[in-house]
Amino acid sequence: MRNIFRIARWEFISRFRSRSFLFNTFVSPLLFTAVLTLPIFIFQYQPEVSTKLVGVIDLSDENIGQNLQDELNRYYRLKNRSPEYMILKVSVSNSKPYSRMLKEYREIIARKDSINSLYNQIKDQRTEYYKNTKIPNREYVLRSSYEKLQITREEKELVQIESNRFKTALDSLYRNEAKNMADSLLITEVLNSYLVFTRDFTKNGNMEYHSKNPGDFRETERLEKILHTIIIKKRIINDNVERAKLRKWLNPIHIKKYQLFAEGQKEWNFYLQFYGPLIGVFLLFMAIFTSGGYLFSSVLLEKSNRVIEVLLSYANSRQIMGGKILGLGFLGLVQVLIWFTLTLILIASDIIPAQKINYLTLTNALYFLIYFSLGFLFYGSIFITIGSISPNEYDAQQINQFLRTVAIFPVLLSLIVFTDPNSTLIRTLSYIPFLTPSFMIMRIPLSAVPITMDIYITIIILIISIIGIIFVAGKIFRVATLMQGKRPTLTELIQWMKIS
Amino acid sequence: METNILEVNQVTKWFFENQVINKLSFKVKGGETFGLLGPNGAGKTTMMRMIMNILQPDEGEILYNGIARNKIKSLHFGYLPEERGLYPRAYVLEMLIYFGTLNNLSRRKAEVEAIRYMDRLGMVDFSDTRINALSKGMQQKIQLIAAFLHNPDVLILDEPFAGLDPINQIALRDILSEYKKENKILIISTHQMEQAEKLCDHICLINQAKVILDGKLSQIKKKYRENAYSIEADNSIAFLHDIKGINIVEENNNSCKFTLSHDNISISKFFEQIKGRVKMRKFEIVEPSLHDIFIKLVQEQTAKS
Repeated sequence: MRNIFRIARWEFISRFRSRSFLFNTFVSPLLFTAVLTLPIFIFQYQPEVSTKLVGVIDLSDENIGQNLQDELNRYYRLKNRSPEYMILKVSVSNSKPYSRMLKEYREIIARKDSINSLYNQIKDQRTEYYKNTKIPNREYVLRSSYEKLQITREEKELVQIESNRFKTALDSLYRNEAKNMADSLLITEVLNSYLVFTRDFTKNGNMEYHSKNPGDFRETERLEKILHTIIIKKRIINDNVERAKLRKWLNPIHIKKYQLFAEGQKEWNFYLQFYGPLIGVFLLFMAIFTSGGYLFSSVLLEKSNRVIEVLLSYANSRQIMGGKILGLGFLGLVQVLIWFTLTLILIASDIIPAQKINYLTLTNALYFLIYFSLGFLFYGSIFITIGSISPNEYDAQQINQFLRTVAIFPVLLSLIVFTDPNSTLIRTLSYIPFLTPSFMIMRIPLSAVPITMDIYITIIILIISIIGIIFVAGKIFRVATLMQGKRPTLTELIQWMKIS
Repeated sequence: METNILEVNQVTKWFFENQVINKLSFKVKGGETFGLLGPNGAGKTTMMRMIMNILQPDEGEILYNGIARNKIKSLHFGYLPEERGLYPRAYVLEMLIYFGTLNNLSRRKAEVEAIRYMDRLGMVDFSDTRINALSKGMQQKIQLIAAFLHNPDVLILDEPFAGLDPINQIALRDILSEYKKENKILIISTHQMEQAEKLCDHICLINQAKVILDGKLSQIKKKYRENAYSIEADNSIAFLHDIKGINIVEENNNSCKFTLSHDNISISKFFEQIKGRVKMRKFEIVEPSLHDIFIKLVQEQTAKS
């Protein structure tokens, strides 16, 4: 029995002093937290370099550019109070085909105008002739002026058709030229992005957003929100609603979220609620796989360098296995306790706002310890078995990698756990011993109702699995550690279990 | 002083279908160096592992002073396995203390003993070095120390001299002979027959899972003596060819190895005949080397089966 403690002490001390333990205890959690939270910070506190130029191609007559500028100015300003966004109406005045076409169009308009005035003149004249019955040759004058009017009207209609056609062509040219222009401005990074408004955008709500990076949700979300307001405003104004009422109607809303707990309600914060448990799972995973990994490499090392033979001559295989599990399990506990202490320090120094985080409780700390211990025993005994039957490190590491992937798999489902930590799927999955620790560590803080029953059930399932695996591991370890060379077949493994 | 005794009685061991040990029996007394010899795969390591209680015999029994081996604490036994292994990242002294404490030594006692042995083997300066910074030979010495640090009553060494330079071989032999004087049991397995010859009092040769030779070294040598002599002189000894009853086996310049045929000539007659004819420098009875006996027996037995 005393040899168990001696072996445990040796395993503990030699790993505790190793650089990898220091790294896994202090650096890895820091790195992970940084990797997890950095994008949020970058996203929220992006350095505002300078005012961003947003181009507008407006094919309607709504003067949307000005509206957009006004609204953007209302909401988004830089720290020095200057506007964050500047709207630039994309100009096509430099485009030769457009100016040529515009010139022609203007000529047509001029012709249209002159014909219009000619037409009106004739009409006026004819009115005059009607009124004045004393005009000599009145009948003739009336008839000839009517013919004139007819001809002019025909011409006027023709010019109208031509001008309409030209207008459409001009619009489409304008659109293309403006887009070309805007594209070149995007490429040269003068513009941040540009928007294209079609003629009837207020009615059909269609517009285009062009950017080098349309995936920038922060930008698109802002523009979408503002355009939405502007367009709705325009639609309402078109229905002749008072402006004063309008403002009242479009007043923005804010939702504050609260979560109900047995002990009362607490304000709900996405980041604290989501990333907290995620960091918890990661730490649990780290703890289990740091000490479990040591267990694994320790068996593998002793097998490959044959220290195991010396050890077996001093202590029996049960003592060796027990000593290793005890020593490295204790190492894991020390690691967890170091993290607890660090958390307490962070709380005491107000870096972690403990009063806002309802799941930072002693009970949950205890659950963390329980799931760590059980998870360690579970994975640890699997590692011992694999370590002792693996003929070489390469094979063993592959299985190790696989187990790690399985254990971290619940993190992939974290969003599902987040939406409903007690759904049937998640509950069922958390009964699978490989996944239990990770799932439960996420579920306990996320669930609004206590899941004591599930905690008991999963603990019992884990304990039963651990007993089973340790039983098998003990038998296989005894025989397998002295074997060298090839990987045993399943039949051989069963035989080993029978003979030992 | 009461004599320790280790008995191996009719031990058989199977590894699935392979019989690695077949009804093996031998007896080792305290103060005796026992050489367990045999070609590769003869079952030596398995036998030693069974004595160390790492493996259990399928049949037969191993007794130490009349008590079954698996009822005795491991701390009475010390073992140097053939395949050497130490913790590469561990510090020498700490690792030795660890091994010592596993055999019930107190930490302090283990430390003192470790330093004492390291000093004898000239490595006290390396006590705070990591194992992987040591040369192969030094690691070998550390492993030897680990085997006898706790002063076991039965010491089993598998190829103890492999990798040691001549000076360290002498140091080790000194340590082992002291150990022998304490009336303890020393079991050595080796392929180096010269070493076995120098060190062992009792030899057990096993091949193909069976004992093919077991007995005191001196008796074995006597048994396999070929009645051969060697003579070396300062003048020519070609006249030996003319003496009746002498068969020359090997002849060099002024020296030769020969046997006497018993019927025609005795050794005293031989001396009478050469008296005054030779300036003798050396005359000796040629003992068969263990090496020769080993090869002869193993070949014979392998041929039989």
